[in-house]
Amino acid sequence: MTEKLSRSTIQPKNPVLNVSRSANLPHVPGIRIGDYLFLSGMGPTDPNTGGRNHGPIGEQVRTTLNNVKHMLESAGSSLERVVKVHVVLADISHMDEMDRVYREFFPVNPPARTAWSMQLRFGNGCEIECLALVD
Amino acid sequence: MSLQRQVIAPPVPGLDAARSFAQPMSMVVRGGEFLFVSGLTAVDPQTGERIRGTTMSETDRILANLKLLLEAAGSSFDKVVKVNVLVHSMLEAPNMNEVFARVFPEPPPARTVCGARLPDGVKVMIECTALA
Repeated sequence: MTEKLSRSTIQPKNPVLNVSRSANLPHVPGIRIGDYLFLSGMGPTDPNTGGRNHGPIGEQVRTTLNNVKHMLESAGSSLERVVKVHVVLADISHMDEMDRVYREFFPVNPPARTAWSMQLRFGNGCEIECLALVD
Repeated sequence: MSLQRQVIAPPVPGLDAARSFAQPMSMVVRGGEFLFVSGLTAVDPQTGERIRGTTMSETDRILANLKLLLEAAGSSFDKVVKVNVLVHSMLEAPNMNEVFARVFPEPPPARTVCGARLPDGVKVMIECTALA
C-alpha cells in the first residue's frame, strides 16, 4: 500500500505564458501529481508579448523550449529533470533543424523522446509537451 | 527525498537508435517508479540498421526490441502501463493490431493509436510507459 499522491495545478511565473488561460482553453498549463509534473503541450509563444513566434522553425523550437524551461522552473523542476518529451512538428521535413536546436537544451543524458508530425493549431510549427520530476 | 532519474543503457549497442541515428534522446529513462521508452522504429538489434518492411513486420520487430529494452531495465511486457502507437496510415492500423494482440499478455496495457507523419519513411513508431 503506497500513500496517496496529491494533485495540484502548476502555473508559469510569467503569466503571459499561461496560454490556456489567455486563449480560454479547457486545460491548465500543467499538473503536479506527487513529485511528477505533467506539462500541457507548449508552443512558440513570445514570453514578452504573448503573441506567436512564427519565424523559422529553429527559432520556434528555441522559443518553445525556453517556455518549457520556464514552466519547469516555475514548478520547482528543470530541464535536467525531464524524463519524457513529445515533440510534434507541423512539417516532418523540419526534424533535423528541430534536433539541432533541441540538442542545445538537452546536452547530456537527454530524456526519452518521441517526435513526429501532424496538424497543429494556430499555425504553430511545433508543439512540445513533457513529463518531469521535481527537484 | 527527490525521485530518482536514471538513463538506462540498451542491452546491446544495436538497440541504441539514439546513437545509430544521432538523435538527442535516451532510449529508456527511469523516473521514480516508471520507465519511459522513446518512440522506437524497426532496427536490427545486432547491427542497429533500419529494417524496412510492412507495417506488420515493423511492428513485430519494434515490439521484440521493446521487450529487450524493458527486460534490460528490470521490467517486462506485463508491467507496461501505456503504449502509444503511431502508424503512417490509419488504414494500416488493423495490421499493426494483429501483431500487437499476439505479443502482449492479457490484460494488455492502455493504448492510443494515431495516424501521423513519421521520420525517415518508417511505417510504425511505438513508445511506452512501464513500471520499473
